[in-house]
Amino acid sequence: MKVVGFDTATDDTVVAATDGERLAFELCLPPDGRPVHSQALLEAAGEAAAVLGGWEEVDRIAVGKGPGTFTGIRIGVATASGLSFSTGTPATGVSTLAALARSIGGSTDAGRVMALLDARRGEVFGGLFDSRGNALEPPFACGPQELVEHIRKADVSGDRPVVGGPGAVRFRDELVRAGLVTEPAGSPVHRLNGRSICQLGAAAEQTGPETLEPLYLRVPDAQLWLERDSNKEPGRSQSG
Amino acid sequence: MPLLAIETSCDDTCAAVLDGPVVLSNVISSQAEHERYGGVVPEVASRHHLELTGPVVQAALDEAGMGLDGIDSVAVTAGPGLIGALLVGLSTAKAIAAPRRLPLIPADHLHGHVAANFLEPEPLEPPFLCLVASGGHTLLAGVTDHEGFEVLGETLDDAAGEAIDKAARMLGLGFPGGPRIERLAEDGDPDAFTFPVAMTRDPGLNFSFSGLKTALVYICRDLGDEGVADRAADLAAGFQAAVVEQLVSKVKRALDRGDWPAVALGGGVAANGPLRAAVRDLCDQRGIQFKEVRRELCTDNAAMIGSAARFSQPLAYPDYLGFDAFATGPRGSR
Ligand SMILES: [Zn+2]
Repeated sequence: MKVVGFDTATDDTVVAATDGERLAFELCLPPDGRPVHSQALLEAAGEAAAVLGGWEEVDRIAVGKGPGTFTGIRIGVATASGLSFSTGTPATGVSTLAALARSIGGSTDAGRVMALLDARRGEVFGGLFDSRGNALEPPFACGPQELVEHIRKADVSGDRPVVGGPGAVRFRDELVRAGLVTEPAGSPVHRLNGRSICQLGAAAEQTGPETLEPLYLRVPDAQLWLERDSNKEPGRSQSG
Repeated sequence: MPLLAIETSCDDTCAAVLDGPVVLSNVISSQAEHERYGGVVPEVASRHHLELTGPVVQAALDEAGMGLDGIDSVAVTAGPGLIGALLVGLSTAKAIAAPRRLPLIPADHLHGHVAANFLEPEPLEPPFLCLVASGGHTLLAGVTDHEGFEVLGETLDDAAGEAIDKAARMLGLGFPGGPRIERLAEDGDPDAFTFPVAMTRDPGLNFSFSGLKTALVYICRDLGDEGVADRAADLAAGFQAAVVEQLVSKVKRALDRGDWPAVALGGGVAANGPLRAAVRDLCDQRGIQFKEVRRELCTDNAAMIGSAARFSQPLAYPDYLGFDAFATGPRGSR
């Protein structure tokens, strides 16, 4: 199966193409002050398709549907939907956390992986996976203290998971202080690779719009405020 | 030369198909969700746009009776608007256009409101004066060609529709405020309360609505909750009259200063009955044309974006691959 896969849920713009087991194209563009998703994704996806022989040769589009930055997720999913609509190539959404876990699993000899994304606001999005990106528990969003508990619990329930990803870098000091091991920033262990997106996408049983629903893992702030206090006025009127 | 247009700058997810100035389809999916928040929440709007854009584009093509193969170019709102919302439409439009090597035409949202007047039937030819008033913008545009417009005046604070929405909230009417204020005002006396009509002595063509809003805050405070409920119709009538009077006074001043043979309206506030009537009267007095635009072409829609795109610079493939949205206008309107 020929797959073009990409992810823009983290600050990086990650794009790859696979032809069966063979990695045909891989690109990771770091932020340039801010993420370059909107400027760089479509061109890179086009290059990935060209390496496979053009869109008519591509069997599937795989896109990371989060969790991650809300705007980043939407740029990725909207791009995948648009490409799918335009070319007729089926698209499928894959969990960015699962893809990160598979990336970490591929670059270590881990049996289990605790994949962590930077959720901003002093929190991570995380989840426990096997080395191929299969979830062993539901994903979570939490701060560093709760994270330490999560990892400790994972430690006693089986062999020690490898902890990695942008969220692990973000809270490395807290983890190290709690006696937990993670690689320093810049280690390839923490990097989400496009190949994992393609592989998870190729393995997905389903394609189509219903698979592209984002994994936000957080409701909009305004909804929280509304639930907390129905008299609050978070809205900015801008209709018409 | 059928053109597909997409608009997602605020809370309406819109797609249209145009053949020249002829609208083949114009699909608008309004997000009712914002009612419970009392206003447009950018994150909520963006999430809905992502869900709705695909189905709305499909519906626009279906209604036009064609597939993507019949489309020659893709137009999309590049700004101004809510950046997260714009990016959904722009990412979709670029991704639809690129594999087919179609040109992409980024359009300015405000140019769209002006360009709604160029659509069939009975297109209006420049020169004309266009008052664009909505929840997001209030400006007076001098239109001398199809390609753009000159900002003759604009709001210095709140947009007209924003002020009306806030007033509706104070009167307990909910969101969106425009139609609710208008309905309630029909039963009220516009002279029962004195509202300041700001900027009428200001010699320029700019608008200001924050003083009006503050005046309502004080009146409501003096009346108390029960008093406000009792007098809501009078308050709505007085507030609406003050908004309309300011808008019309600036149109009048612009007509005094320039030789405009016609006046057009755009934006959600342009759907307001008393405003339309007042501008029509003014045009009748002056013996100039008043351009009626259908309601669905006044509020945000994609047909107007397609119309603006017909007179905007197309970007050939691959020049638009890196094209990004902008939150505030290159015309410096906000
Ligand atoms: Zn508008």
